[in-house]
Amino acid sequence: MNAALTLRERSEAEASRLPPLLARAEHLAGTVLLGDHGRRRSGLGDDFWQYRPAQIGDSRRLIDHRRSARGDQQFVREREWQIAQSIMLWVDQGASMRFASDKSLPTKADRVRLLGLAIAILLVRGGERVGLTGTTLPPRRGNAQIIRLAQAWSEDSQTDYAPPEHRAMIPHARAVFISDFLGPLDEVELALTKAADRGVRGVLLQVLDPSEESFPYSGRTIFESVGGTARHETLKAADLRDRYLDRLAARKDALTQLCRATGWQMGLHHTGDSAQSALLWLYRALDGGTR
Amino acid sequence: MTVLAGIGFTAPWVLLGLLTLPVLWLILRAVPPAPIRRLFPAVTLLLGLKDDESVSDRTPWWLLLLRMLAAAAIIIGLAGPVLNPSRDETGTGPLLLVLDASWAGATRWSSTLDQIDAQLTEAGRAGRPVSILRLTEPEPPIFQSAEAWKGRLPGLTPMPWQPTEAQIAQTLEALDQVEGGFDTHWFSDRLDYDGHARLVSALQGRGGVTIYQPASMVTGILPAAYQDGAIQLSALRANPGPVERVTILAQGRDPAGAMRVLQTIEMEFESGSTQAKTELSLPSELRARITRFEVQGQRSAGSVTLTDDSLRRREVALIAGSLNREGLELLSPLHYLTQVLIPTADFVEGGLAEVLPANPDVIALADVARLSEPEQAGVIEWVEQGGLLLRFAGPRMAASDLGRDEEDTLLPVRLRSGGRSVGGAMSWGEAKGLAPFPEHSPFYGLQIPEDVSVTTQVMAQPDPNLADRVIASLSDGTPLVTRKPLGLGQVVLFHVTADAEWSSLPLSGLFVEMLDRLAVASAAKSRQEAQLQGTVWEPVQILDGFGTLTDAGTLAGIDGVELVSGTIGPDLRPGLYESGKQKLARNVLSEGAVLTPVLWPADVPIRGQEVSTETPLEGLLLALALLLLSVDVIASLALSGRLGMTRTAAAVLGALLIAPDAYAQSPDNTEFALSATHELVLAHVLTGDAQVDDIALAGLRGLVQILHYRTSVEPADPIGVDLERDELAFFPLLYWPITPDQPQPSVEAYTKLNAYLRSGGMILFDTRDADIAGFGASSPNGRKLQQLAGPLNIPSLEPVPRDHVLTRAFYLLQDFPGRYAGAEVWVEAAPPDAEQIEGMPFRNLNDNVTPVVIGGNDWAGAWAVDRNGQALLPVGRGYAGERQRELANRFGVNLVMHVLTGNYKSDQVHVPALLDRLGQ
Repeated sequence: MNAALTLRERSEAEASRLPPLLARAEHLAGTVLLGDHGRRRSGLGDDFWQYRPAQIGDSRRLIDHRRSARGDQQFVREREWQIAQSIMLWVDQGASMRFASDKSLPTKADRVRLLGLAIAILLVRGGERVGLTGTTLPPRRGNAQIIRLAQAWSEDSQTDYAPPEHRAMIPHARAVFISDFLGPLDEVELALTKAADRGVRGVLLQVLDPSEESFPYSGRTIFESVGGTARHETLKAADLRDRYLDRLAARKDALTQLCRATGWQMGLHHTGDSAQSALLWLYRALDGGTR
Repeated sequence: MTVLAGIGFTAPWVLLGLLTLPVLWLILRAVPPAPIRRLFPAVTLLLGLKDDESVSDRTPWWLLLLRMLAAAAIIIGLAGPVLNPSRDETGTGPLLLVLDASWAGATRWSSTLDQIDAQLTEAGRAGRPVSILRLTEPEPPIFQSAEAWKGRLPGLTPMPWQPTEAQIAQTLEALDQVEGGFDTHWFSDRLDYDGHARLVSALQGRGGVTIYQPASMVTGILPAAYQDGAIQLSALRANPGPVERVTILAQGRDPAGAMRVLQTIEMEFESGSTQAKTELSLPSELRARITRFEVQGQRSAGSVTLTDDSLRRREVALIAGSLNREGLELLSPLHYLTQVLIPTADFVEGGLAEVLPANPDVIALADVARLSEPEQAGVIEWVEQGGLLLRFAGPRMAASDLGRDEEDTLLPVRLRSGGRSVGGAMSWGEAKGLAPFPEHSPFYGLQIPEDVSVTTQVMAQPDPNLADRVIASLSDGTPLVTRKPLGLGQVVLFHVTADAEWSSLPLSGLFVEMLDRLAVASAAKSRQEAQLQGTVWEPVQILDGFGTLTDAGTLAGIDGVELVSGTIGPDLRPGLYESGKQKLARNVLSEGAVLTPVLWPADVPIRGQEVSTETPLEGLLLALALLLLSVDVIASLALSGRLGMTRTAAAVLGALLIAPDAYAQSPDNTEFALSATHELVLAHVLTGDAQVDDIALAGLRGLVQILHYRTSVEPADPIGVDLERDELAFFPLLYWPITPDQPQPSVEAYTKLNAYLRSGGMILFDTRDADIAGFGASSPNGRKLQQLAGPLNIPSLEPVPRDHVLTRAFYLLQDFPGRYAGAEVWVEAAPPDAEQIEGMPFRNLNDNVTPVVIGGNDWAGAWAVDRNGQALLPVGRGYAGERQRELANRFGVNLVMHVLTGNYKSDQVHVPALLDRLGQ
């Protein structure tokens, strides 16, 4: 609980630096719950949309007398149809995320949780419903959801390379996947295609340690994954660098291709960089850059 | 020992281990370095990547080389390498080490011992039994293991004599007792002595003889003699070589009683001569202090000569015929004598009867005609024992019939009755001058001033022996000073008075010189055998071989004749001897001594005494191996990536930087002084209570900041001073917070504090208790203050008067609050006569800075700020509290201003008056 509290506290601090995010509403199918997102047509909601001449069948109570008093015609005040959007987060909880190449750097797990929770806070503040993919925590509104998210993410998983959770995705919702995506690629592919099938679009944020980007190793080395499931021994680590970097580039390329095919956006973040920039990017990505 | 390439090996077989190095090379090359385990989540990307077979990672060649070197260093180190192995062909059988062990070798004794040590080591290695024979102290040779001798080596010392004939005979006898042959190594001092040749041939008969002798020769010094008003010094050397300079040090006690070099004398051996001479002219005062002369750079009994009575300060008894005109000092017949002798002599006071038992060196009788019978006998006995009786004529002597008919024992000549007067108002002729001194006279060579004239004198009767006894005469040939020997002593008569009535001689410098020569003559005891016959001399201090004086202990007395003429040996040691009041020095080299260099038979091999010390390299090589291995550790770590190179470099650099720091000396006084004086520094006394000290320091820091902001006083950072250790004189102001449990300073610290207060320092005592007890004894801090200040030199105090300069040194203040307000502050009381002048606002008070300011307002607490300039402690409440802190700060400024400017502000009050006057 304590870990959850500190995580939340730091996330609040992170989130306080950005204006509330109003995710762009594209599709509202299937959900009828009122939110703060205008649907650009009249309907149920709080915000003014337009005045229209009163028509037969309109209740007398709907006539806006302030407007109608200016002339002879009677007007009805229409409100914009507003709706909240559901945003599902998936943050990699795998053991492979608990890695930092230097004491001064945060672990990847730490960084992804921070980013996930920060974006969740922004979204909740913007009136969105935020939840986890899968069935454990369906999207809800309110600050209590933040606490539940923080609690859910404070539990470490013991297995390496957790596959993206793609079950129980709400159609036409939006999703945010944050991970290092170093695990099996086909799982990611499966998740994204499944999401695309259900009209879910979203953002893929890859978080890497600087050492994973530069491979600063030499000498005879045994590389092990954090969970201990994979290991590789080399006599001359320095010689592997180029080939490793090629493979890493190929993996990024594959992810980008996948995103392009499914209409997702792909982002890259290093734990050596500021979390603020990653959050900003996430904010812009979810916002669609239209505001 | 096997010698390879100039390096000896004690265990050469270990060197075969070097053959294993190539094998080791191959093994090390084949084994790759140990892997390092790393966590790496991106290992999934690495899976399936194959290492390039052609570049299998091997230990780099330079690391291999490093390890090979380390292994080689270990192997060679274990083989016991020795640099400069002694290459003497080792003989077999017993070895006799013969040492001259005389004073001549004392200077180089330590190097001789080193060489003997090397020989013993060598003999120990070869398993030869060894015996050591000192010729100056022969013992029957006992052949023992070298190790047994090594332990006794430090006990071998040189003796202050050369081997005597008896000792040589003893040695030969002892050698006869030894059975079988033996080799001899002879450590010679290069001086010849009797029986030397016999000993050489005897030793040659028993086996091989090798001589070790030093390259340089010994220098000796002959006893100092006093002659012709100067100390005669001569030095000896054995070889008439080229020009050589030696320095003689004259040592003695300075007036403070400490031994020191009083004079250094340069001397030069001319080319081809073995003796160097010089004269040393010294003031008598200095001369009398000299106790020994020694050759600089030598450390042997022969290069030291002790002085005895001959250079000593004389004891003189002055006795006048009548002293009835008491009080007329200038008219006293002894006045001039006293003036002359004061610098060089000690006076023995009293009448003749009292003086004689004190056995002075000189008794001067001024115009004393008759001595009583027992006095006469006593004086005669005293003179015969070596005293100098100095008599002056005068009216009384002229009037008496002393020595008229027959020669008085205590007069050198017979006297004519009446005397004569020349050059006076009632006489013909002129006052007479002095004739040049004859050659046999002790005054010979003295310059006679023109203005010395004699008007009246007593006349000597012409006798057959008169001519021999005259040592000074007037220009007309009449005797002025006569002298005759009596026993060991002599009697000298000045035919004029000791004052200026009869002649101007006592007024002249010549008189001083004459007395000087005579006084010296008085103590130069003749060392004739005949005169020492029957005397026994007791040794007081004796010289050891190194020329150091040691207590003689229970050595037996020596017959006088033997002492002067005997040969120095175990029975007659050089040193200081005493008989009665006389002192006699017997030196190693006596007058006429010659240093003869030794001549060796042509078939005896002679070696120098330079020892090439064997240096074992074992430890060095093993240390090198360790060093290489530790470098290897770091290099291996770096290679395997366990250690970032930058971090290694930092660690190594850090170690290098920290190492000297760990051994750095604690800051000495100079550093403290520099730090305390390069700028003005305020200081507080360290009480031992960390909290109080911190607040005091923070308070002074705050005060310093305020001074910086508001005044042109810009002190450096304040420091705490330890009363016991630190010098206080550098600080104009000491802040002394009182804690009940701080230690009482030591007596030395109080001395320092009092000196500090006297020299214008100021101490601000702060009991920090708001003076709740009015400095009574009821507050613990107040009691402590009384205890602490008790031993301090504090003047009478009074509460700060309203016109004290402290109230206006910078700010105008009437109150001096700190964290507490209202308590009285005490300063040095105004002088009782200080009165207010009409029209002046202030009294003209103390001229000085008050040495103490005593209060209890906890000023440091009010001044205290942290590093950011924020006040540390609260003062009062709200605005009133800030006002109080401001006043406290102002008090601090005023205090520092008062300390630094004294009563300057006091003077300022006169300015209006001065301006007023100037305007008129």
